[in-house]
Amino acid sequence: MALTDQKKTAQLDSGILVVNQSRPTKVNCWSCGAMRAAHFCQECGKVQPPTPVDYFTFFGLPFRLNLEPEKLEGEFYALSRHLHPDINAINSDREQQWSLEKSSQLNDAYRTLKDPITRTEYLLRLQGVQLEEQSKAATEEARRTGKLKKQVVPPDLLEQVFELNMQLEEMRMNKKMGEPDRTLERELQDSKKHVQDRYNGLVEELHAAWNEWDALIDRAEQGGSVLEDDRIAVRDKMVDVLNRRNYLRNLLRDIDEVLEN
Amino acid sequence: MAYSDKVLDHYSNPRNVGSLDKNSAEVGTGLVGAPECGDVMKLQIKVNPATNIIEDAKFKTFGCGSAIASSSLATEWVKGKTVDEALTIRNTDIVKELSLPPVKIHCSVLAEDAIRAAIGDWKKKNGQHSQAQAAVQPAPVEQRA
Ligand code: FES
Ligand SMILES: [Zn+2]
Repeated sequence: MALTDQKKTAQLDSGILVVNQSRPTKVNCWSCGAMRAAHFCQECGKVQPPTPVDYFTFFGLPFRLNLEPEKLEGEFYALSRHLHPDINAINSDREQQWSLEKSSQLNDAYRTLKDPITRTEYLLRLQGVQLEEQSKAATEEARRTGKLKKQVVPPDLLEQVFELNMQLEEMRMNKKMGEPDRTLERELQDSKKHVQDRYNGLVEELHAAWNEWDALIDRAEQGGSVLEDDRIAVRDKMVDVLNRRNYLRNLLRDIDEVLEN
Repeated sequence: MAYSDKVLDHYSNPRNVGSLDKNSAEVGTGLVGAPECGDVMKLQIKVNPATNIIEDAKFKTFGCGSAIASSSLATEWVKGKTVDEALTIRNTDIVKELSLPPVKIHCSVLAEDAIRAAIGDWKKKNGQHSQAQAAVQPAPVEQRA
């Protein structure tokens, strides 16, 4: 992620209402002075200088997590065409430079928002959640207090992941020696179903949290007030899902790898 | 990303892979995970009850090369130390020894967590509730047996 975004995240950590206020409102075109849309002047069509906005704002979107992929894709291609170097070759150096910068902003924004997981992670980052930092923070807490570190996922999930990995390793060895153990193979197939169910459950949980989040955004956009506690509660639900997700994702990947080879 | 020589050494020739009897009163077991990547690590210690010295340590890590190297190194380091000395090992020591790059710091944190968790488990088994256990984490089922 670009540096400017990280700086921005730091300023935005006080919540969606503040995030909303940071959106650019009326800006005049640098060339003709008319009021412009985000990327091109509505009057004269000239490309506008890049501004360090978050990715949702870049696409003119509210901070909602449910979004229509086709619409986002359409926006992306339309903007890409307009910002393309060939189209901007006749423009001034300054405009060419802006188009270039905006193009790379566009690519980052699209890549991040297109994928449901990176989109969620990005929104959490906008709220000051550093997923990578939680575990370190818990370790520091454990050092300071001498208490056991609070694992960010339930211990039984770790047990299950560990046990399944042991079985996978055994299966790999068996296969290498040319003596696949059929019982173990069947067990792994069962486990795969179980893990897949659990994973699907997580996806459902995530979507439920998305809907709750979007309801808050809708309320805020309509001028209603959003309680800080509500925002934090939904945010933490998403964090919780993402914390468990990687373990299950790895397991599914590894089980497939072992069963197929 | 290139691994340092020391990481490669521990990775291709890990020390102390294996397990100890988790039901023994002298053994403490720590099972920890890194949510950012989904890797898991188990580290076990065997403590001499008379001296509180860690006489043996084993690990099993399902994760990246840096996590394997960090846990391998951790088992080497804790052996011969008292439990209190072992508690002073910091992930930053591991980072330095293995020259881990910033993106691999969490792998070393995992190793420190594992040492701490193993010692916490051992203390609990041996009635040293003093500060090792608060209501932060439910005991894993296996230890209630
Ligand atoms: S990448 Fe996660 S433990 Fe190394
Ligand atoms: Zn204009």
